[in-house]
Amino acid sequence: MNTATEVKTTRPAWAHLLIYGFLGAVALLALAPTAWVMLSSFKTGTQIFSGEGVWPAPFTVQGFIDVFTQIRLHEYLLNTLLYAGPGSLGALTAAFLAAYPLARYTFLGRNALVALFSLALALPLVGLATPVFFVVRELGMFDSRLGMVIFYSALQFPFTFVVLRAFLVSTPPELEEAAMIDGAGYFTTLFRVVLPLARPALATVAVVAFVNIWNEFFFANLLLISQENQNVQLALAGFKSQFGFNVTAAVTGATIVMLVPIVIFLILQRQVISGLTAGAVK
Amino acid sequence: MSAATTLRPPSRSPGRTAHAMAGRTKRTPRRVRGTTIPRGARKAVALSLLPGLVLFGTFFLVPFLVLVATAFARWGGLDFAWAGLDNYRRMLEDPVFFKALGNTLFYAAASVLIQVPLGVAVGMVLALRPRGWKALRTIIFVPFVISGAAYAVIFSMFYNPRSGLLNNVLGALGMPGDRDWLFDTATARWAVTGTFVFIIGFVVVLVMAEIASIPNELYEAASVDGASTRQQLTRITLPLLRNVIGTAILIRLLVDIGMFDLVFILTAGGPDDATATLALYAYRAYLGGEWGYANAVGSVIILIGLVLIVTVRRVFRIGERTL
Repeated sequence: MNTATEVKTTRPAWAHLLIYGFLGAVALLALAPTAWVMLSSFKTGTQIFSGEGVWPAPFTVQGFIDVFTQIRLHEYLLNTLLYAGPGSLGALTAAFLAAYPLARYTFLGRNALVALFSLALALPLVGLATPVFFVVRELGMFDSRLGMVIFYSALQFPFTFVVLRAFLVSTPPELEEAAMIDGAGYFTTLFRVVLPLARPALATVAVVAFVNIWNEFFFANLLLISQENQNVQLALAGFKSQFGFNVTAAVTGATIVMLVPIVIFLILQRQVISGLTAGAVK
Repeated sequence: MSAATTLRPPSRSPGRTAHAMAGRTKRTPRRVRGTTIPRGARKAVALSLLPGLVLFGTFFLVPFLVLVATAFARWGGLDFAWAGLDNYRRMLEDPVFFKALGNTLFYAAASVLIQVPLGVAVGMVLALRPRGWKALRTIIFVPFVISGAAYAVIFSMFYNPRSGLLNNVLGALGMPGDRDWLFDTATARWAVTGTFVFIIGFVVVLVMAEIASIPNELYEAASVDGASTRQQLTRITLPLLRNVIGTAILIRLLVDIGMFDLVFILTAGGPDDATATLALYAYRAYLGGEWGYANAVGSVIILIGLVLIVTVRRVFRIGERTL
């Protein structure tokens, strides 16, 4: 036994078998139900209800037509894009503007502010549901697209702030100091010197914030009521009731909605992973 | 290939970003030195802080203060009357509250006992860099970017008593394949648990990043001293993962305490509240117009969150940081 585990130039065959067996099983458990549902978007309603066969037979793309003509998924997609794009941009702007002074300068209450912002990232915010609804309603922002963009900027602010500040803390201030000595003002320095340096961090955070807003269900459910304002996650929840009506279209819709963050992740894997780990270890 | 080299995945960039924050430098308390604000920049700094302060104040601080105040009141949005501890008393007398609390803790326990250990194991194995580890890491991470609502749709189909994949596979294997997993009180809670415990990508990635930051010299020295691969894993890698394991547990616990989407869409808490969570229980009170009561429950959720943050950080001695 001891010799088998000894450091060697190659791993024995049984170790390979064990490693791949284990990883394969985990991958299967993690992804099989999702893959099966995605495949179902090419099945007819009859086949889905019968539960027969894993592969689509007969193969149909009717779901991809119906999902836009009947369910009008593009409207939900557009709404979500509107929330996720400007929402993450808003969070990014506010967070960058706040992260810089809180990373560079010492002043009264700085540590308290940093602690509060970080706490907002960690605490289970669903506990705040009713007061958030109340505040949003009082501000006249209930069931409003603009209100939702502002709210999502706030919701993603703690995460973007924590990651950006940690990034800025880890970068040397020399360049900015030089710029300031040369007479550049605060905002000039911030946007001409710091912003270009922080671009990788900003990109990372933006991607994660975008995906977070894309996937957000709880507050959308709480703060939106008209169908014309709903995001894709609300549409997804509604699809369950569509199952009896046009199950293929509902499944296709679900597939498209999930594919957006999956494709973003596959293309921008580094950004997503480093953004998430950075946010985690705040 | 020695263990020393196999345990080191290639550095990824913008690794420096992730590293400065995810690296193990966090053990030492970090006080950012910083300078005082230059004279001429005071106004600019204040202006710079403003958007963040407004967003935070409006959507976090004010709601939090409202929560704390109204948890001790009867409140439906319009009517308002102080009620002392009535809401909390009512909670203690409601068996459904304890059911929801029990379920929430059940899900949290499943995360700590199944999800995190599985993620750590997979992360450690992937860190050995078997052929194809990158593709495997990607596959295992994908579920993490899928939303709770999407998962609810997936698993409502997966568990379907007639047409679901699970029952069909069981039926094909000659087992009884007609159980309604989500709406059978005997299996509902486990069925919900099954939807999220295999979403381990996040833990895997954290663990791999941490292993990558362990200096090679440690393994080389151990190797020279005759330590086996297994000894190196259990005596060097695992103890050094303490921090990141604690972090993973904490994050999962905080997610579980607020668990809502999956349960709300999948089962709406049924059957007979067998899958209901605290967040769902609070949401029902909100829907019923009992905002004061909903907020009392909300305060319990947030309090549990705070207690978890403090305890888990203590237990795993997660380094002193800004939080």
